[in-house]
Amino acid sequence: MDTDDSGHTISTALFGKTQRGLLSLFFTRPEESFYLRQIVRTARVGQGAAQRELARWVEAGLLVRTRRGNQVYYQANATSPVFHELRALAVKTTGVADVIREALLGLADRISVAFVHGSVARGTEKAGSDVDLVVVGAVGFGEVVAAVGRTHDTIGREVNPTVYPVREFRAKLRAGHHFVTSLMESPKIYLLGSEHELERLGT
Amino acid sequence: MSLSDWARNGWLVEHKTSPQEIKDLLGVVVRDLRDCAAKGLSDDWRLAIAYNAALHCATAALAASGYRASRDAHHFRVIQSLSLTLGVDNTLIKQLDAFRKKRNVSDYERAGAVSTAEVEEIAKLAGALRKRLEDWLRQNHPGLLPK
Repeated sequence: MDTDDSGHTISTALFGKTQRGLLSLFFTRPEESFYLRQIVRTARVGQGAAQRELARWVEAGLLVRTRRGNQVYYQANATSPVFHELRALAVKTTGVADVIREALLGLADRISVAFVHGSVARGTEKAGSDVDLVVVGAVGFGEVVAAVGRTHDTIGREVNPTVYPVREFRAKLRAGHHFVTSLMESPKIYLLGSEHELERLGT
Repeated sequence: MSLSDWARNGWLVEHKTSPQEIKDLLGVVVRDLRDCAAKGLSDDWRLAIAYNAALHCATAALAASGYRASRDAHHFRVIQSLSLTLGVDNTLIKQLDAFRKKRNVSDYERAGAVSTAEVEEIAKLAGALRKRLEDWLRQNHPGLLPK
């Protein structure tokens, strides 16, 4: 996990609350644009702080500001030289991964390893892409669905979980089951546990 | 919202059922609950069969209430209607809906992304739904049950 002894995550160590909120919103949903009220509500940030931060980000070329009718919209600037880096950072820390990790924390003592795979982990997701999630542990599909169901409003994506008991995951890995084997090779963002735990399941 | 509100929205169509239709639907449920436990089938396919049992429970409850779902978003509506027919709670409906999505995904994009544990979970859920449906029919629509 990302946490150290002081309880900081990568994102809280690097950024303040408003910056985290904006990074997550704009760089995990880079194909969408948002107006101030949406930003304040979705990113759960203060209006004054958001306005100041937005002005700075626009000035630095991180965001694009456009006016449509009476409304001013902000969107991630895909031509910024650090667009791809910020996007990767957002997804791995403040974005999808953090939100889902937090949602799973109530089940964490029964989860051996949980990770995101598929297009979000590869960084090739589109506006409508689901978040593909694998959870290995002593939890049920229904429990995981209930836990991550609340994340939809924040991340704006459906989470599509596959849940294995440890024993089944091991058995399928040994039997060379196509999907489970391909998971081992594919890009992953670890939410709970790490590569180490996953590899131990294979031995 | 009530079933008649849903019909006004175009989500449901009025439908006159019969004891024979209910019997046929229950027959599918029983068959699918049995078949989803068959040895030698893939987990993807077993999940689809168990899901079908749950879907037919919901379809039967809707038919007994005088409606069927219109074609648009058919499975989604049938599952959501369980709150208005059998009084199924939101948590359970969300689980069924997640299985619906999982079935779509495993059909079209990600063969194999289904665990045996998940199949057992949806089979158990469908079995409980069948029991609930039969109790509900006995109490609310005894005339539709096979003599």
